[in-house]
Amino acid sequence: MQIITEQNLRNLIDLLVKEAKLVVGPKLSGSVVLYEPLTAGTELTLDALPRRSSKELFFPVCEDILSYKREGGAMKVTDVDRSKFPETVLFGAPPCDAGSPSILDAVMSWDYKDEFYLERRKKSTIVGIACTKGDDACFCRAVGLAPDTENGSDLFLTPLKDGSYACNAVTEKGQALVAAHKNLFAEGAGAEPVPFVDQAVQKLDLVKIKKWLEEHFEDPLWERIADICVGCGACAFICPACHCFDINDEGSTDDGVRRKHWDACGFAKFTNHASGHNPRDVQNKRYRNRIMHKFKYYDDKFGKTLCTGCGRCIRACPVGIDIAEILETINGKAE
Amino acid sequence: MNAKANKNQLTSIEPAYYEAVTEAIRKEAVKILKEDTVVGVVGYLPGRRKGTATPALVTSVEEAEKLVFSPACVNNLSVYLTKAKKGVLKQGKVGIVAKGCDMRALAGLMTESQLQREDLFIIGVVCPGVYGFGVERTGTLTEANIARKCRECIVHMPEGADVAAGTHAELADLTPEEAEEMARIEAMPQAERWAFWKEHFSRCIRCMACRQVCPFCYCEQCLCDKNRPQAVESSPRPAGNMAWHLVRAMHLAGRCGGCAECERVCPMDIPLNLLNRRMAKELKELYDYEAGLAPVEKGPLNQYKEDDDQSFIK
Repeated sequence: MQIITEQNLRNLIDLLVKEAKLVVGPKLSGSVVLYEPLTAGTELTLDALPRRSSKELFFPVCEDILSYKREGGAMKVTDVDRSKFPETVLFGAPPCDAGSPSILDAVMSWDYKDEFYLERRKKSTIVGIACTKGDDACFCRAVGLAPDTENGSDLFLTPLKDGSYACNAVTEKGQALVAAHKNLFAEGAGAEPVPFVDQAVQKLDLVKIKKWLEEHFEDPLWERIADICVGCGACAFICPACHCFDINDEGSTDDGVRRKHWDACGFAKFTNHASGHNPRDVQNKRYRNRIMHKFKYYDDKFGKTLCTGCGRCIRACPVGIDIAEILETINGKAE
Repeated sequence: MNAKANKNQLTSIEPAYYEAVTEAIRKEAVKILKEDTVVGVVGYLPGRRKGTATPALVTSVEEAEKLVFSPACVNNLSVYLTKAKKGVLKQGKVGIVAKGCDMRALAGLMTESQLQREDLFIIGVVCPGVYGFGVERTGTLTEANIARKCRECIVHMPEGADVAAGTHAELADLTPEEAEEMARIEAMPQAERWAFWKEHFSRCIRCMACRQVCPFCYCEQCLCDKNRPQAVESSPRPAGNMAWHLVRAMHLAGRCGGCAECERVCPMDIPLNLLNRRMAKELKELYDYEAGLAPVEKGPLNQYKEDDDQSFIK
């Protein structure tokens, strides 16, 4: 087994920074931990789940997709040079974050190839870490993941009781990262792994839940649960799997930028048509879409569940809407 | 009741207090539903996770018997009487559970003609305080887990409610952390203060939770959602974020009742209530006005008088 000490893990970050790679990991920003560029290994903070997920590495909160400027009589349009996107290494993503790109790849490379997402994805290596924290909002086990799921990571670290990490190079990218910095890793038996935290939510039968959703597009459950939803975008924005975005031209008619930024199905105007008609005219229809998209539509199209059970939406919901509780309710109703 | 005279030196509020309030709320809610006084009651139900509660719009006696009050009842429920939520309950008189800070919002909404007093049955809660964010939720309220806003609460008693649930109880000798933080920021040189807010707003992801929970953000068309033409950049970038938060603070000046829900729900921990509080201070100094202490005909920034000072027009 390959072992890396905590000090060497931090040294590895220092070396990668020196190699001019973009190194991103959980870092304290004000009073919250966020995935942010690290300038030194000492900045890596592994004792809290970052408030926002690591999806923003591939799908930023906001990005320019082109700029335009009127020159004489003509409009000059300039594309973003995606070849300048840096080689990136993501450190310290637990399975509920590390696993999200492998879910999102399907939609991002489907009928339209999202070159922005795919270019970043191609240039990044994910160093995932087994999760030994967790609280009563966590439910990764219920949606088919686990605190030690390696799928999604290129290199996977398991915290050991002596403070070091057992390393498993899951993909070629992971093997290449280890091979390039061999001297930081040692062969060994390793100490005992740090145990995982129990989760309150039991395993859900996602097939059964999907079947129930298929048969209950109209159901009083939606009103009962979602009538208290206030229609913000907190749940979707901090979700590792939500990937809806809006496009806005900002600037003047002569000089401006076209920007792509996060959008959320909870917003009242999300499906507002140019005609003024809105097929999801009340909040419970919008909330229904959130559940349907995650546990039915995405599975219909891509055979995957659009949720990693990270629990962020549960912790952040201003009115305490608890997606795990909703899934348990549906699981209990379904035949 | 004279709050000061009755102030006993409590260091914690035990679960028994909240249980008594819960009983009183249930009794009243059941009564007004049974008697068809109201079409529904806006209150709280327990959440799945320990030490949590969620808002609830209950319409049956059976549901009303499950209503609770605990330090987890953080939400300002008056938001459910505004905006899109107006249509959720049937037309008619509505019962609402309201803490003192929520009562200020109700009074403000009456001032702005959004609510009529006769359409409400207010079950006021004598509230010693609620949990802050990220604290230990043991069921007992202490100095260690009380919300920052509650440390300086001046409205423990729900004045003007139809009935009051609970007796007087409050924690003694709490340091005014928010006032201290405000003083610290006010003492900063302007550039430093600008940098403080720029840093905070840089984390904003424009999830609009601050707007959506605010009882006073009831505009059907928010200026910040407009994109033809665009008034404020709607993309989450520093310039637009700053503009949004300034618009929000200014638009709430003289209206915000200080429930601090915007700050509580911010997933990025932006201390928004400091801005609200600063605006409230300006209103107090300029017009000797405090929003929401009682319904008034019009707030100072919502009216025009011929003898208004116009010297600021250059």
